[in-house]
Amino acid sequence: MKIKPVVFDRLQTTHTSYEVDFAIDENVTFIIGDSGTGKSAVFSFLEEMAAESKNIVCFNYLDQQKRYKTTIKQSKDKLFIIDNADILLDDATRWYIATDARNQYILIGRNPTGLMLNQEDIRELASTTENGKTRFYLKHAF
Amino acid sequence: MITVYKKKTLPKNLELIKLNDIYFNKFTVSLLDERAAKIIKTIDHSEMLSQFTISSRFDGTALNIDRLSTGCKTTLNILYNPDKVFDIRECGDNALDVIYALPQGNVYCDYPLISFGMDKVSVPDRNGTHEIDSYEELKAWWEDED
Repeated sequence: MKIKPVVFDRLQTTHTSYEVDFAIDENVTFIIGDSGTGKSAVFSFLEEMAAESKNIVCFNYLDQQKRYKTTIKQSKDKLFIIDNADILLDDATRWYIATDARNQYILIGRNPTGLMLNQEDIRELASTTENGKTRFYLKHAF
Repeated sequence: MITVYKKKTLPKNLELIKLNDIYFNKFTVSLLDERAAKIIKTIDHSEMLSQFTISSRFDGTALNIDRLSTGCKTTLNILYNPDKVFDIRECGDNALDVIYALPQGNVYCDYPLISFGMDKVSVPDRNGTHEIDSYEELKAWWEDED
């Protein structure tokens, strides 16, 4: 389901020599990519950003035993950033996310099944390093 | 050659590990030897500086080895723990290429997740195991629900 971002259309943060600059076009952003490209590192930078914003909530495999699904369903105007999405998101939660117009999502994983996304909606993490600074951004995966 | 398991084919005496990060950080890390360095270089483009330290691929700074990617940790889990089965659903294509070329190990996924460069794998069947040496045949085996 195509929904424009309901919380943020751009995410920018800095963590020492790392900069994150995500332009966001859709309400559900699914990020794939090779192992070791920095996806979980970026997640940790965004977790830091969440500490300063009441609109950002982050989950990863460490939250598997917590009530993250209930939190999602009871929330409004939140950006949920979910690493290890292939482990955390079951079919029912994927359906909920795909149809949820009250919250926004950035999902990091490999399998976008059940989220009603097209190939052109899938993003890949890219980076450039200049003068000792590394900038992470999103590009189309296909 | 690795052995591939899918739903309903997992023997009860084999433990399935789904949270590869945690298993690596707790157990596999103490088993690493020189074989790990090559895998870390191939998948994460990092140098293994010591048993517990790697260099960042981005700026070369020393990092704790827990910063390896999940795909790299999963690959190392598979290689160093042939008595366990590891879920590979979080592995990127580059990690899958290495996993499918490992000399030993057991992998699991609910759905087909195959390296295009695969050579040969072992899969369980009613009579024990048999070998599959083509991508298409392995995909068909994975999708067959019998």
